Amino acid sequence: MSDAIAYATIRELGARYRTRELSPVEVTRALLARIEKLDPVLHAFVTLTADRALADARAAEEALRRGDARPLLGVPIAHKDIYLTKGIRTTGGSALLADWVPDQESTCGRRWQEAGTVLLGKLITHEFAMGLQFPGHRFLPARNPWNVAHIPGGSSSGSGAALAAGLVHGATGSDTGGSIRGPAAFCGIVGLKPTYGRSSRAGVLTLSWTLDHTGPMARTVEDCALLLQPLAGHDPLDPASSRAPVDDYAASLGRDVRGVRIGVVRNYFFEGIDPEVERAFEEAMATLRRLGADVRDVTIPSLAATHSFLLILLAEAYAYHERDLRAHPELYGDVLRERFLAGALVTGAEYVQAQRIRSQICDETAAALVGVDVLATPTTPRPATPFAQAHDPDFGFPRSNMPPFNITGSPTLALPCGFSSSGLPISLQLAGRPFEEGTVLRVGHAYEQATPWHTRRPPV
Amino acid sequence: MDTPLELTLEELRERIQAAGVTIPDHRLGMVRKLLSDALVHVRALDSRTIKTVEPAVTFVPAGGARHE
Repeated sequence: MSDAIAYATIRELGARYRTRELSPVEVTRALLARIEKLDPVLHAFVTLTADRALADARAAEEALRRGDARPLLGVPIAHKDIYLTKGIRTTGGSALLADWVPDQESTCGRRWQEAGTVLLGKLITHEFAMGLQFPGHRFLPARNPWNVAHIPGGSSSGSGAALAAGLVHGATGSDTGGSIRGPAAFCGIVGLKPTYGRSSRAGVLTLSWTLDHTGPMARTVEDCALLLQPLAGHDPLDPASSRAPVDDYAASLGRDVRGVRIGVVRNYFFEGIDPEVERAFEEAMATLRRLGADVRDVTIPSLAATHSFLLILLAEAYAYHERDLRAHPELYGDVLRERFLAGALVTGAEYVQAQRIRSQICDETAAALVGVDVLATPTTPRPATPFAQAHDPDFGFPRSNMPPFNITGSPTLALPCGFSSSGLPISLQLAGRPFEEGTVLRVGHAYEQATPWHTRRPPV
Repeated sequence: MDTPLELTLEELRERIQAAGVTIPDHRLGMVRKLLSDALVHVRALDSRTIKTVEPAVTFVPAGGARHE
């Protein structure tokens, strides 16, 4: 299979399907072969659904013959393995659920299925969207296609690795403290964390109710826009789901960025930053200026207290896992078990105070987004971490550039903006006002089209 | 007396006992750092001077409540 097919955009795939140059069955068979060849090293997939994929592909071919013009028809995708799939095991990357076969489908999974996608399988996740698999775990961790000695980021680790390696054309991710954007950054792909409430969490394993987001991951901003479209919209099965109107995301990409006000958040996001990341970020801002954007500095002082979000995450995660932690502690991964148990040690008062700090951060971020249309920061202060470092139990939870926008629920896009001297991807983070996914996609797309980063391929 | 910003090992052990969970000794350092880092800003917070931000609950005529 040529790289041109493995790395084709969704729009290119659709065009070639409709001119009969390619067929969904042909592409699906080629990707299954590519997965068989590359995944023994990358470990992106935890379950391959070859029969289902071929059945989906045949159905897509039939639909194409009838003139069906849905943009995701015949597009090969896979789900992060915390998305419940009816009749297909959903492990959560855990020994606890290693053989669990749900009898329900996530809303996101159902919506992509109804859009005509081809399900290739389930992608490994950090255990319960939080814990990197340590040696001896029931499942192997995914590896970064740019350098297999480095992590692909997490927790949507398999999604990031599979997209970077050209094994799928779209994937779901979830993001509680950066789990869509981190793998997007480390794997040199694009990830969108939509506004909290924009994309349903129904049928997705919970990590933290008030911080969890679902969303698409892809290789280009346009692919992300196309994949978001069916996910966006009210779902009565998710209590946090919004009834806000849904935009036409692909249509928003056609506009340039002249006059768009971009605020670079100068506090918090540059602490401890790698000089190569800082240089790539500043060059990205220069590119956006050349494209006509009005780039200016802003500050959000309360972000200094961002790390208190972990009290919310830990307390909510413990509430969700308490019964299983008490009944089957041995089925939780080493280190993750103790991190979840730490949630039992957060007092009610501390949880409330962390939520009050959260309200302050939300207020100040909203105020900053009155004067500008989009906030820009580096997605991560450093490129992908080596496994040797990540597998140190004391590595812990380093301060991160991504949780501020889980706290605020803002739509946030991560996309490539360069490479380190060691060949690892560097990423730009763009955040917007609630439900203005179209604006962050528009700015990201304009930047992407002016730069070559999304065209580079890893040495797989 | 002001609460120290850092969670002491003694306080951690008290919390573990109160919560009725078991955390092995070789993981206490990791858990203490995890919680200490997360608690720093909460412990520095002065409820009397911070702008009032209340966890609120709103009720709707049709029934049900929402926390906001």
